[in-house]
Amino acid sequence: MKKKIFCAVQLCLACKGCEIACAVEHSKTKSIIGALKEDSPPRKRRDVQGSKETIMSIACQHCKTAACVVACMAGAMYKDEEGNTVHDEDKCVGCGMCIMVCPFGVITRDKNIVLKCDLCPDMTDNYACVKACPTGALFAGTAEEFKKRLETRKVHEVKK
Amino acid sequence: MRYVIIGGSAAGISAVEAIRSIDQKGEITVISDEKYPLYSRCLITYYLAKSIDEKKLKFRKEDFFQENRVNAILGVKVEKVMPEQKKVKLSDGRELTYDKLLIATGSSPKKLGIAGEDREGVFGIRRIDDIKGIEKIIGRVKTVVVLGGGLIGMRDAYALNALGKKVKVIVKSNRILSQMLDEASSEIIRKVVEKNGIEIITGLDAVEITGDKQVKGLKLDNGSKLDCELVIIGKGVDPNTELVAGTAIKVHGGIITDGYMKTSAADVYAAGDVALTEDILSGETTINAIWPCAVEQGRIAGLNMAGEKEKYDGSMSMNSLTFYGIPVISIGITRPKGEGFEQILQKDTERNIYKKMVIRDKRLAGIILVNSVTQAGVYGELIRKKIDISSIKKGLLDSNFNFMKILPLVQDNMDSFIEKGFQDLLLSCGK
Repeated sequence: MKKKIFCAVQLCLACKGCEIACAVEHSKTKSIIGALKEDSPPRKRRDVQGSKETIMSIACQHCKTAACVVACMAGAMYKDEEGNTVHDEDKCVGCGMCIMVCPFGVITRDKNIVLKCDLCPDMTDNYACVKACPTGALFAGTAEEFKKRLETRKVHEVKK
Repeated sequence: MRYVIIGGSAAGISAVEAIRSIDQKGEITVISDEKYPLYSRCLITYYLAKSIDEKKLKFRKEDFFQENRVNAILGVKVEKVMPEQKKVKLSDGRELTYDKLLIATGSSPKKLGIAGEDREGVFGIRRIDDIKGIEKIIGRVKTVVVLGGGLIGMRDAYALNALGKKVKVIVKSNRILSQMLDEASSEIIRKVVEKNGIEIITGLDAVEITGDKQVKGLKLDNGSKLDCELVIIGKGVDPNTELVAGTAIKVHGGIITDGYMKTSAADVYAAGDVALTEDILSGETTINAIWPCAVEQGRIAGLNMAGEKEKYDGSMSMNSLTFYGIPVISIGITRPKGEGFEQILQKDTERNIYKKMVIRDKRLAGIILVNSVTQAGVYGELIRKKIDISSIKKGLLDSNFNFMKILPLVQDNMDSFIEKGFQDLLLSCGK
């Protein structure tokens, strides 16, 4: 499986830099100026949300038994060989079955289809959101690696 | 191990994948009475409306059977299941022996039982063959009458309206989508579909389909007549249980299964629209004939056929669809009857937004969401897991309701949220 994206809530400032970077990465030009001029504005696949106490940047969790894959009647949502949850936007008919069952509410509608985190298929080294995070709250790796990172306590110093 | 699976749709194909996830060697045979494999039944109205082509109808890759080493017998019907001999009898005379059998024969459109039902031009839209039949005559069709204003009828109406036909929907009850929606949300959708040219006629039913060889019209129960060249029967479905009639496999309006998708006969399983399961919310045994339930039941059945001991959580009624750009999702109990229910709602007529929460015993029991559906699954998870929502009740209808609003509940009910996705998110909070 590709590296999973985690968010250390202690570090998230809700700056929404990840949301913007996500939208830009999914634009045609992949630049913020270019993206703004495109016919249909690019859409984010990540959401910064929270309460007074806790803020988190959240997106597809690539669940092991993914409810969206089970529910998809078009075969658009599927598991690739590595276990990533992949969405074939060309096959999607926008029925919303996946939205109905996603326990995290991270699949959104866009015109006649749905969108979700695709783990930046055009990037090889990192993810757009992780790269853009100014505090290092977003992290790509395994659960164990993320746990270790949090345990270093001085997690705010572990910036890129 | 010889696995035989009757039915090649959602439940059957899902079972193949589940079996192959643990048994690479076993012999798998899939028998389907349809010639066209691997197409999604739920998409055929999209296909009829020409919003997708035949290729996009497939919900699995062309080479699915080769890839999973499945012996696919297509265009052949299973006439009879013989659990005593562990055999099935096919319409071409052959008999197949199984070690484990899955019955995933699905369902068929309900018959009306009225005169004229066998005339040319009367269809239920369920199979590709139905679409091909409709396409043959569609050129001469001006007016279509759809019988049934439920989910199936409305989908059919939508597709035929998209083809430029005059569509009239006859609804027996006083409103459309009466099983899925309450009055207020049903009214929103009615306005939207009427605005787009579909005529809704409520409180009436057909008593006869008139014509000679071909359909020419309908007689309604108030004595009035309608002219039409095509009649679509969209009144729901009945499970296809004929093949087990007279066997030890118990049927009660569907094939009875235990919590492991096993039937009353040894080594025989059932899944999908043909199988009775326990409804999570009502506790009653029923059929929730929807794609997600069929896939999940097929998965559980497949795993258990291959030797696992996987329990099925039970089914829940839910549905999602979009009418002319307005998405609608309903989950669970949406039209509560009896005591003990509380309903909270929000309505924004201008933006066609409607949200309703049905609460029972401090728990969310059902929702209706119109034109604001993104968080449907978050509510759904609270419904499915029967979590006490008292502490967040006030914020349930907030426009910024999202996963983080239920995080305290997840943290307080860790035993109910053991899936890895939840565990990873909790990790993010340093728990």
